[in-house]
Order: sequence, then C-alpha cells, then structure tokens
Amino acid sequence: MDNLGYLFAAFAVIWAVVFGYILVLMNRQKKLKRDIEKLETDIRQN
Amino acid sequence: MNYFRKVSAIVWKDALSEMRTREIVFSVLVFALLVLVIFNFAFGADETAMNSIAPGILWVTFAFAGVLSLNRSFVQEKENGCFEALTLCPVGRDAIYVGKMLSSLVFMIIIEIITLPVYSFLFNLNVLSFEIIIITLLATIGFAAVGTLFSALAVNTRVREMVLPILFLPVVVPLLICAVNASGDALAGESWGDLFSWLMLIIAYDVVFVVASYLVFEHALEE
Amino acid sequence: MNKSHITKMVLLVLTTISFMAALYLIFFYVPTELSMGVVQRIFYFHVPVAWIALLSYVVIFVSSIMYLRKRSKTWDTVAIAAAEIGFIFTTAFLVTGSIWAKPAWGVWWTWSPRLTSALVLWFIYVAYLTIRAYTQGDDRKARFSSAVAIIGFIDIPIVILSISLWRTQHPSALIFEGGLTPPMLLTLQICILAFTLLYVLILIQSIQINRSILKVRDLRRLKEMNEG
Repeated sequence: MDNLGYLFAAFAVIWAVVFGYILVLMNRQKKLKRDIEKLETDIRQN
Repeated sequence: MNYFRKVSAIVWKDALSEMRTREIVFSVLVFALLVLVIFNFAFGADETAMNSIAPGILWVTFAFAGVLSLNRSFVQEKENGCFEALTLCPVGRDAIYVGKMLSSLVFMIIIEIITLPVYSFLFNLNVLSFEIIIITLLATIGFAAVGTLFSALAVNTRVREMVLPILFLPVVVPLLICAVNASGDALAGESWGDLFSWLMLIIAYDVVFVVASYLVFEHALEE
Repeated sequence: MNKSHITKMVLLVLTTISFMAALYLIFFYVPTELSMGVVQRIFYFHVPVAWIALLSYVVIFVSSIMYLRKRSKTWDTVAIAAAEIGFIFTTAFLVTGSIWAKPAWGVWWTWSPRLTSALVLWFIYVAYLTIRAYTQGDDRKARFSSAVAIIGFIDIPIVILSISLWRTQHPSALIFEGGLTPPMLLTLQICILAFTLLYVLILIQSIQINRSILKVRDLRRLKEMNEG
C-alpha cells in the first residue's frame, strides 16, 4: 500500500500530459480564430 | 548513357575529388584513431573492462566516423554547387543515390580497413578475422544506405551537418546492436552458427533499407 | 452545427464514457496482482499509451507516403498533428515506465526491451520533429519529413526485434510475470478503447488547427496582395 504514491504519480502524469495538450490545442484554436476574423475583416475593408 | 555508366561516373567523380584533396579520408581517419585512443583513457587501466566492451568501442568509433564521412561527402557537393548541378543533369535521381551511396560506402570501408589493424594493435585483440571483416562490411552497407539519404536531406537544412547524427543514429541502432554482439561473439571464438541470427538481421536490414532509401530518395528530393 | 462539430461531440461523449468505465474497472473491478501489488495497475494506462504512440507513427507513415504521392498539403497537416501527439505520448510512456520501474524493480531506469525500444522510438520521433524544424519551405519540409518518417517507420519493427534479441541474450529478470486473467484483459481492452477514442478526437482537432494555420497564411498573402 505504500506504493500508492507511485500509482498516483503515474496516473497524474498521463492526466496532466493529456489535459495540458488539450489546453495547448484550445489556445491555438482561439488565437487562430482571432487571426482569421481579423484578416477577413481587413480584406473585406480593402 | 546507360545506368551503369551514370552511376560509375558519379562514383568516379567523388573518387577523383577525394584523391586530389584527401579531405574526407584523412580527417575522418584521424578522428577514428583519436576516438579509439580516448576510449582507452576513459577506461583507464582496467583491462578486463576494456575487453568486455571492446566490440562496443569499435562500433561506436565506426558509427561516429561514418557520420563524419557522410557529412563531408554531401557538404562538399552543397558548397561547390554540385548538388544543384547534379539534379539538373540528365542522370536521374536514382542514379545519384546509387552513385553517392557507393562512394560513401567506399570511403567508409577505406577508413575501416585502416582502423581495424590499428584497433587490433592498440587493444591486443585480433579483429582481422574473416568473421569480423564480413560483419563490418555488411553493417557498413546499411550505414551507407540510410546515411546517403539522410545526408542529402540534412545538407539542405538550416543547420546542415548537425542534423545528420540526430536522424542517422536512432535509425542505425539495430545495426549497432547486431554488429556489436556479432563482433563480440566472433572475438570470443564462436562459430558461424552462433553469429547466424545477428548476421541475418544485418543482411535483412541492408536489403530493406537499400531498397527503401533508394525509393524514398527519388521522391523526397524532387523539387 | 456542421458535420465535424457533431462528430467531435459524439467522440467526446464516447471518450468520456469509456474513460469513466476504464477508471472504474482499473480501481474497483480488477483484482490486485499478486507479485507487484497495487502499483501494477499502472499497466492499464501504460500499455494503451504505448499503443497510441505506435498508432501515431502508423498515421505519420501513411500520411507521409500519401504526401509524396499526391503532394497535397492536407496530408502533411495530418502527419505533423500525429507526430506531435505521438511524441508526447511516447514521452509519457517513458515517464510512466520509469515511475513503474522504481517500486516494481527498485531502479528508475532499466534497459528492458520495452523501455529501451520506447527510448529509440522517442529518438525516432525527435528525428522527425528535428528535420521539420530545420528545413525551410513548406514543400521541402513536408518532403524531407516524409522521407524520415518512412525510413523511421520501417525501422521500428527491426529496432524492437534487435533489442529483444539482444535482451534475450543478456536477460534480466525484469519481465512482467504471468499472463493476463480475463478481468485484466477486459480492463486493458476498455482502456485501449478509451485512449484510441481520445486519440482520434485530439488528432482531428489538431489537424483542423493545422489547416487553420495554413488558411491564416493564405489570408495574409491575400491581404498583402490587395494592399500592394
């Protein structure tokens, strides 16, 4: 039962990695959406 | 110009260029010998340790020297503008691959031919046995096959030579494992039967990667 | 609500359900393994992570071949998306493998066939990402990385084979003992399912992001043309 720490650590690593990557993806998507909207309005104004 | 003449033209060009400047063979050879000597310092006076890692030292040396010679071979082309010239002339990229692979193979073999006796001398081990020569030859073919393709790619990147080891060494791991083990067995006096599985794997590697690199080279370098 | 949105929603729901099922199975259903104790449960996440890492390389391999044949940028976006995910999962495999090794065998690292092969796989992923990073020009980047991917992929089984051969010659008692009992097998299968669904979801999302990046680049060029 004293090895529970390791068990927790392993699962935490996987969870953190997956969650972290999903956050990264979400941020990228947000930034890209902003860029696309801005560029499209710029082009339309021209 | 038939295929054979195209390929030999490329090999001959590299050979001539090398005979005039002796850039590759000398610098890589000195490097290889230095690596051997440095390993000796790294392991100090512990002779039993040295003997057990002996084949490993040999193959690390060959791997690093191989990377160097592959690098020089293509960097020369790039610097002299030969690369673009080669792709322009009606030789066909497949002939370029075969030609460069053969010339890299020859350079590496020359370096190995000189390194092996020196190694024998420094480490007091007879590596000039038939088995080891066969192992070396076969493994070097694999080095040349993959190395030529990766070298052609690496030379066209921003950092040029630095990329080649990163691409080359992981892919060549099976060769290193098999060569080290086979050499170790050969030095210990094992028979051909024991070396069989290692050699089979090296030969399989060679066949697979000569074909694969040949096919990929053409498509990857087509602008 | 377009088709891609619906697909992603469905995937998300399925993934969540399978992960909840997986967690239940791992922590409440499957009995504790005798030799290693509770730590052995890492296995149920550890193995699927490896599966994803390998699956990802298959995806890179196929998209690389398709890129070299069709020269369409879409295939390249698939390749780089899969490469990112695969690299991250390979790293996770190595880290969890290490975390498992310490309580199970007392050392942080062992040159066992599984971990050693994973380490080489990690370097093969690094090779792919490196050639991409240092090559300039979209087409060249895609072509060169496709070449590396194809060679790397063909290499993977040979690497695993040679490492196993090497390790059977110099065995160390660091193998997973015993087979899998039916409850263990079921748990493992559900976990693999959960991770595969997650993978597909993240992959689709990443591919869409990469395509948006290309779209932004095209829009920028269009904007400059209009202004110039």
